[in-house]
Amino acid sequence: MNTLIASYRKVELFFGNLKFAVVIVSLFAITLGFGTFMESYHGTEYANRLVYKSLWFMGIQFTMFLSILFAALIRLPPKKHLYGFYTIHSGLIILFLGSYITYEGGVDGTITLTPNLPTRQITLNEDEMRIQFPNRGKEVSVTLPFSAFETNLKLDYEEIKLGRFLPFAKEELNWIPVKIADPGQTSSRYKLFNDQFGETLTLTLHPMSDFNNTLQLGPLNVHYMPASLAKCFSSQEEHGLIVWNGENRGCMAPTKSELRRKKSSTGKEIVAINFEGKEIAFIPEMSPLPLNTELSLDEKSPYRIFSRKLFEQTPHLFLFGESAAFFNKNTGKWETGFVSKDKALELPWMGFKVLLLETRSESYPVMRPEYVKPVQDNSQIIEGDKKAVEVFVGKDTFWVRSGEPVAFNLNGEKITFDLTKKNITLPYEIVLDQFKMDTDPGTTNPASFESFVTLFKGNEGSEKHHIFMNNPLKYKNFTFYQASYFQSQEGPLGSVLSVNFDPGRPWKYLGSLLLVFGSIWHYFLRRKTLKSGGARA
Amino acid sequence: MRNLFLLLSILFSLSAFAQGPMNFCTDELETFPVLAQGREKPLYVLAGDSIRFITGEKKVGEFSAVVAFCKLSLKVFGMPLELPVNIRVDHVDVRKFLGVNENTNSVPVNELLEKFDLIQGEIRTQKENNSYKKELTKVAGRIQTYKAVISGQAWTVPVVENGKVSFLTLAEFLSEDRVMSARGSGNPVQVLIDRAKADYLSAKGDDYLLELKYFKLNPFLWALLLSLAAIFAFVLTKNRNYGIALTAMTILLQIAAMTLRVLISGRAPVTNMYETVMFSGFGALILSSIITIYRKEISFILAGLGYNVLCLMMMKFANGMLDPGISPLVPVLRDNFWLSTHVTTVILSYAALALSWILANSILIRDSLGKLKAEDYRYQVDLTYTCIKFGVVLLAGGVILGGVWADYSWGRFWGWDPKETWSLIVLLVYMAILHGKGTTWIPPRRFIPLVAGAFMSVMMAWFGVNYILASGLHSYGFSEGGAIFLGSFFILQIAILIVTRFKVKQAA
Repeated sequence: MNTLIASYRKVELFFGNLKFAVVIVSLFAITLGFGTFMESYHGTEYANRLVYKSLWFMGIQFTMFLSILFAALIRLPPKKHLYGFYTIHSGLIILFLGSYITYEGGVDGTITLTPNLPTRQITLNEDEMRIQFPNRGKEVSVTLPFSAFETNLKLDYEEIKLGRFLPFAKEELNWIPVKIADPGQTSSRYKLFNDQFGETLTLTLHPMSDFNNTLQLGPLNVHYMPASLAKCFSSQEEHGLIVWNGENRGCMAPTKSELRRKKSSTGKEIVAINFEGKEIAFIPEMSPLPLNTELSLDEKSPYRIFSRKLFEQTPHLFLFGESAAFFNKNTGKWETGFVSKDKALELPWMGFKVLLLETRSESYPVMRPEYVKPVQDNSQIIEGDKKAVEVFVGKDTFWVRSGEPVAFNLNGEKITFDLTKKNITLPYEIVLDQFKMDTDPGTTNPASFESFVTLFKGNEGSEKHHIFMNNPLKYKNFTFYQASYFQSQEGPLGSVLSVNFDPGRPWKYLGSLLLVFGSIWHYFLRRKTLKSGGARA
Repeated sequence: MRNLFLLLSILFSLSAFAQGPMNFCTDELETFPVLAQGREKPLYVLAGDSIRFITGEKKVGEFSAVVAFCKLSLKVFGMPLELPVNIRVDHVDVRKFLGVNENTNSVPVNELLEKFDLIQGEIRTQKENNSYKKELTKVAGRIQTYKAVISGQAWTVPVVENGKVSFLTLAEFLSEDRVMSARGSGNPVQVLIDRAKADYLSAKGDDYLLELKYFKLNPFLWALLLSLAAIFAFVLTKNRNYGIALTAMTILLQIAAMTLRVLISGRAPVTNMYETVMFSGFGALILSSIITIYRKEISFILAGLGYNVLCLMMMKFANGMLDPGISPLVPVLRDNFWLSTHVTTVILSYAALALSWILANSILIRDSLGKLKAEDYRYQVDLTYTCIKFGVVLLAGGVILGGVWADYSWGRFWGWDPKETWSLIVLLVYMAILHGKGTTWIPPRRFIPLVAGAFMSVMMAWFGVNYILASGLHSYGFSEGGAIFLGSFFILQIAILIVTRFKVKQAA
């Protein structure tokens, strides 16, 4: 027993020591300072994951709690001149307990209200991977770790394995090798730029790639085509027709004399061309497909026709690996040119130029999430705002990104994967009747955000509420606060309320009161001052 | 518009309209009511703010802001009124980019007007939100403001219909019909403007003119002079009544000035950096006066006056960092109860800690000069400790009130927002020092340098979160230009600590 008491005394002396208090208070302050800089550079979520809601930070807080507790215990039995001190420390202990109760039993989330749509889902801050088996009516959820770094989940469920979880990710370009290089399935990266703008374009003809062979940049359309088609774009024939073979990528820009035109029974123009030793007929204004012997469209044919005239009114840039073609409205002609890594090709739109960065046929480009420390600039996360989980199903591997559910077919069974936020369901419904945002007179600066909602309480009927800044709705333990708003698809503004249930609240308030009164008691109600040794007293 | 110009030209000669005996653009327009940035105010304030923002100066050439603003606004009607307007461009790299004279920060507006699109393009290409991009954005804003003025969009004119006041831009207000209808009784524009003002006064009264009085009186400049006079009186005369009287006058003047500001804005005067600096100087003076009465020690009031002078000088001379304008609040701050409890308590705590900082630095300097005896040093430590006691109690109360307000407004008592976290850091820093004071680690000779240095944590919480960290829910207080100020403060404080330490060691 004596040994036990002696051990306790040692613990009490260690944690209740003033010097220990100085160390732990200083450590806590330094940690907090570090946290604020992390938040400034990398955003709130990163700071929460790295510092404020991490295990090691909770360890520091718990050590502080021990220091506060033992500092009070070591000064027992009570002494009159320490009443203020006891009150401060009791207040702090109660504050810590209140915070712990909130941490364990509290709910902190948001509810998104689309106008006139009953809602009862509260979205929480924790991430989860939801795996659904619609055929079986089954759903499995995995809560993802609240870590700031990449974590290997190492979780199995039937034939599904969850691998790496990236809490902060950005898409990085990866090249996947192909077994046999095909010159008709090349991929290229270009830089399109002028004095004020620059953009890297990744284009591919490979069917497995995450990228496409066309893309739109404002009014400009970019098309990526097999290199063998380039020669046909240099033709200056007025009709502008080009025929190509999708199998061998051969093409032909027929001269006027090589085209035979006649009218169909419906008055449409039929064009016949002798290409690769075959007589092929098209109705260009109707379809790029050729006609078969029964004069219907032949969908199986590898031949296609198109008219370049379709691409003369608006800016279209055709890229063929190391060459490019476009219609120049200034000259009224189709122009072609070489695009190389050393010399940019000038385009006839707003001083734009295009530069080839690389062309590959032995691999194709895909985007893969990579872990990255998020970057915050001007209160916005500009890099690393995605989350992703690596999934293995059978022999296949793929990534599920936050906000982009993936459907997978495993032996004929559909499985969906969704990396999303956890949510809970309220036992009642809230409907947003109207969201109102007033502005300061003569400006667009918001002056107030207000939600007019109806609360449907099941058998207890319904009631109207008006929620605005500093005026929350309190109902059955939950409090709803005006937090944000958004433009709904239907048109009117929707509202976002933060939802909170805090069982530790009374304790935190009690602790706070004791802390303040204790401080006043300790510092001001026990007078003890020195007299000046000099003449200024 | 062209018709209107012709009409105006026919009705009045150009010289009569703009410069001659029937001069329209005079300083008398300063009392004209306008709507700007969401508030009704006198033209004096709008013109002053606009001209200062565009040029960085109070005047344009020989013309006052009101006259210059008026003349520029009339450009929309084609009046050939050339004013030497220069736009302020502070960043050298921006001047280089614009291809203007790199040796002056005043660039003629005509050189910049055609480069507006170029500036916008440069802003878009800048990925990092650095000082260069910020300056470009500011210059673009200045050009836009200038364009708004010369297009008659900045000046708003009240129109009263059925007792209800709405505002039109000057360009909309001076329509052909209105000018035609005002013909015959002198300058029609003058008649319309006078009538608009008279209608406004009969509908809403002249409460808005309080703001004109407030800015014209310049009460904080007088408070600065009075504070300095009080310091001299305390230091140079043996009769303390002079110093006490001057201090009382300073306090009364600052109360009157703040009351005026409260009446104008309708809220507690602690909603932006300018107002917190103003309130902290005043708070320090009040606190130091109370402690002086309680402790019968003149050092406190001297520290309070000294700190008040520093705050008033910042308010007077650091307008790039502290905006004296009165603007509408963001929605979450529109709660006078919490503003006048949480924010004032925190700022008062900073004021108390500022007193300890002034005292600590004065002890350091006097000690390094060998002017403090050992018993005096201990006594001075006790004085500093008294200020810290006030500071930590007020700060603890302020932090907790902030938690209660956050709980009330946002649904959580504590959310690790940078502003609230840094206020807790300040409390922890001072608590560590106070706890350490009871150990052998922090004897009196170490206590004073630590207290002087600890105020850097206050400055970080107060200015650094806004100017350096610049993120979080308290973003309403953010403004630019303070990072250099804060850096200079840190360097100066560290230099004082090093030099005084070195001197004391030398003396030993």
